[in-house]
Amino acid sequence: MPSTTLALTPGLGSFLKSLKTHPVETSIENLISLLKRRQIRHSRSCATATAYLLRHVVSVCKTSDPLKLIERVQTVGRRLVAAQPREMVVGNVVRRVLGLIRDEAEDDHEAEFALSEAGSESQPQTPRAFDDPSSSLPLDRDMLSLRGEGAERSSSRPTLHSMFSLLSHPEAEFSPISTPGTQSPNGRMPGHGPGSKDVKAEVLEGIGEIIDELGQVDDQIASYALEHIHSNEIILTHTSSTTVQKFLLKAATKRKFTVIHAESFPNNHENTHATVSGNPLGDDDELSADAFQKPLIALGITVILIPDSAVFALMSRVNKVILGTHSVLANGGLVAAAGTRVIARAAKVHQTPVVVVSGVYKLSPVYPFDFDSLIEYGDASKVLPYEDGDLVDQIDVQNPIYDYVPAELVDLYITNLGGHAPSYLYRIVSDHYRKEDISF
Amino acid sequence: MADSVDPALTSSSATASVPAQPASTIANPPSQQTQNLPIRESKSAKSPAPSDKQSGKNKDASKPAAAGSDGAAAAATDKPLTPAELKKKAKAEKAARRAKEKLAKEAGGAGAAGGSAPGAIQGRPPATPKKDAAGGASQKGQKAVQPRRGSAPTGQTAADEPTKKEDKSVAVFGHLYGQPRRTTIAGAGKEVHSAVLALGLQLRDYVVCGSSARCVATLLAFKRVIESYTTPLGTSLSRHLTTHLSHQITYLSTCRPLSISQGNAIRALKLAISSVDPSTPELSAKATLCEFIDNFIREKITVADQVIAQSAAQKVQNGDVIVTFAGSSIVKQTLLTAHKQGKRFRVSIIDSRPLFEGKNLARALANAGLDVQYSLVHGISHAIKDATKVFLGAHAMTSNGRLYSRVGTALVAMSAKERAGGVEVPVIVCCETVKFTDRVALDSIVVNEIADADELVSAQPLPQVTGLVDPEVPTKPDNKKGGKGASSAPKPDPSASSLNPSPSPLSNWKENTNLQLLNIMYDVTPAEYVDMVVTEMGSLPPSAVPIVHRMSTNL
Repeated sequence: MPSTTLALTPGLGSFLKSLKTHPVETSIENLISLLKRRQIRHSRSCATATAYLLRHVVSVCKTSDPLKLIERVQTVGRRLVAAQPREMVVGNVVRRVLGLIRDEAEDDHEAEFALSEAGSESQPQTPRAFDDPSSSLPLDRDMLSLRGEGAERSSSRPTLHSMFSLLSHPEAEFSPISTPGTQSPNGRMPGHGPGSKDVKAEVLEGIGEIIDELGQVDDQIASYALEHIHSNEIILTHTSSTTVQKFLLKAATKRKFTVIHAESFPNNHENTHATVSGNPLGDDDELSADAFQKPLIALGITVILIPDSAVFALMSRVNKVILGTHSVLANGGLVAAAGTRVIARAAKVHQTPVVVVSGVYKLSPVYPFDFDSLIEYGDASKVLPYEDGDLVDQIDVQNPIYDYVPAELVDLYITNLGGHAPSYLYRIVSDHYRKEDISF
Repeated sequence: MADSVDPALTSSSATASVPAQPASTIANPPSQQTQNLPIRESKSAKSPAPSDKQSGKNKDASKPAAAGSDGAAAAATDKPLTPAELKKKAKAEKAARRAKEKLAKEAGGAGAAGGSAPGAIQGRPPATPKKDAAGGASQKGQKAVQPRRGSAPTGQTAADEPTKKEDKSVAVFGHLYGQPRRTTIAGAGKEVHSAVLALGLQLRDYVVCGSSARCVATLLAFKRVIESYTTPLGTSLSRHLTTHLSHQITYLSTCRPLSISQGNAIRALKLAISSVDPSTPELSAKATLCEFIDNFIREKITVADQVIAQSAAQKVQNGDVIVTFAGSSIVKQTLLTAHKQGKRFRVSIIDSRPLFEGKNLARALANAGLDVQYSLVHGISHAIKDATKVFLGAHAMTSNGRLYSRVGTALVAMSAKERAGGVEVPVIVCCETVKFTDRVALDSIVVNEIADADELVSAQPLPQVTGLVDPEVPTKPDNKKGGKGASSAPKPDPSASSLNPSPSPLSNWKENTNLQLLNIMYDVTPAEYVDMVVTEMGSLPPSAVPIVHRMSTNL
């Protein structure tokens, strides 16, 4: 179903293809090595890969017991997180899948015991409350019918069975029509125990929703663009974040403004140049998928490319700073491309609002105490090329990839759920992850 | 609504204009044209208004008018009209009608003119309201045209060239774009001395870079100019040498805008020349001037640097972690002095694109045996984390106490002052008084220098590139040529970039409409980020700059 996210990067694309043919254990190892080698980089690619892998893991899992499912996902998740602890979205997706299984298990539990409430109970629980209602409605009904089927077949309590079928019967007619459509992509579920089928199917459904969300998240965020970008504003941004680009493009369809783009020199400047000029690099990951996307300049937006060092000089003319991020922490701080912190600081000094756009999936239930542990250091040769080899021997070259930006430098977060103050993020965290999964 | 208004108008306009113009547009009562017609009428009425004065050029004038009205008409039909727009439209139509009625009367008097150029006569009577409207309309027309141009992928005509070139200067910095830097010595005046010619190119290519170095090099070149100078007959040295020098100065400033220090030095030199007694023989006058130059260099720069380095080195303590930005010669000297004094400290150099001046500093310090750490602007917050002091060089200090230095300096100073730990890192600026200026600057936009944007295109020399000896110097002329060729050639060669093994996405950025590259050289650091300015006259707070400047210039 999320065909748009499929062929993203060579790393991600090839992984997703191999997922269909390789056995689970190989796929897990594959992803672990991709993560370790940093062949999958961007947050969204990592999240997508994790979600697909977990769907695969759950679907081939022989066990029927939710507890065992949880255990299995936990072990896989632990290995993935251990492979690349700084890629927090991996942990986030694992947490959400765990939460999903727990919800389903509880639901199932309730369905069996408190049947009269089953219909009303399933409404708030199953769709995990983050997707738009339009898509969750048919799914919801679908799940209900599935549950009905499962309960019917397992039928451990015949007395209750009759009552349940009373509720589910009219909707059972939907199941032959709607289930093939929604289940066919993940339909490798040969004969399992009948009682497990509902939980697992729903979990798979839920993971599918997460994957969908990952595919749509940028567009959902972009839909808030017009509220935040006005005519003739001067917007400053940094690095080539797809989310930010879509956000700006959306606003560019209606408004005229100017974008000042800092190039984020050693680590991402080529992508930035490609984004700005609209000439795709071709060989590089993430962007190639969005290469068809028009650059801002094609929509008549003036884009001024500057070196990172000129940020302070221009900040006095900037109306708004819009930043992408790598991951967002529960305290409202964020981990973003190196150089973001000085930009945010310069904006604060000039009283310029700083807006961070980020999908909810980047929101991590992590309270940082040791900031250094969040920072990854990259290839020093990007800072000092090998032509200066004599220097490299003598001096210590540093190339940090990420910056930690404290919450007080950010004025607003825009996620796919809307705009939030940094201080509100902990609440969204607790909405999205269950307590028992925070450290799984 | 538009429909209800239009018929009446068209009928009236038709009746009005019949005597003047029996031409095609109105003769057939057009059913679909009703909407654009009134606009076109009013347009043709007002746009050729200037052509009234120069009646001979009627045809020329009417052409753009027609184009404009077409564009406007297209724009008008595209959008649904808001009530306000409708009102405006109605007003314009009314004005047009009145014009026509008046015209009809006039035409009754002088019918001959009406046939040839109806628009020209229509335009005159209702002057004021229409002119604004015409302005608006022409703007509209442009707007309607622009997207077409943007969307057209390749078929760019030569007519687009000039507008595109203008495009590339960033509006906010519009006042700073002078003529582009001189690329060759061709066209330099014959009075320009060869030493100055060479220096000009060195300045342009950043071979001689840095405020003090430029100042010294200029003075030395001028010394040679003075040495080889002979006063022409009929003038005195003090009069003629100044103008002779100003030729050299003009040439230098076309290669790269003069630095503050250069300006101060030249001012002092000119003062010295003008104070030469006309009765002194030429040889001794020249000797005096050369001596003056030597003294100036020694006092203001060489010895001043030593004094500054000595006193700034005292600020360095054992175990310090010193952050510096780019490559300041005076900071280098300071750190080397401190190292020679046996102090143990670490230096963290922050560098920036496109000049990478910090590399040379890093090399010099590392060769001297210092512990050096090197990162770029993106690593400021990491480098500043364990810093204990920040040493900065200066291009100039402005009279309001602000530091005018290589772009990025302000970021470093700001990070030092706003560290998360709450402990502020002292920021020490090393600056000779010759760099003090009486100019003031509030932000980096009023005063600045814009370098060639093509310098940004070749990012870092790619590690695999073969045949590049020095990454900095040889690539630059190439770029310049590439950029020039691209902009001046009527048709961009698309194959050129594809033949290139790994072309930068920006390689032909000049063909991308709306894309601008900005390469400014300096920024202004607020005075509150600077704790101390170390000069040869002592260590001062930044607020003391104007006083010191006054003292040193009045000496």
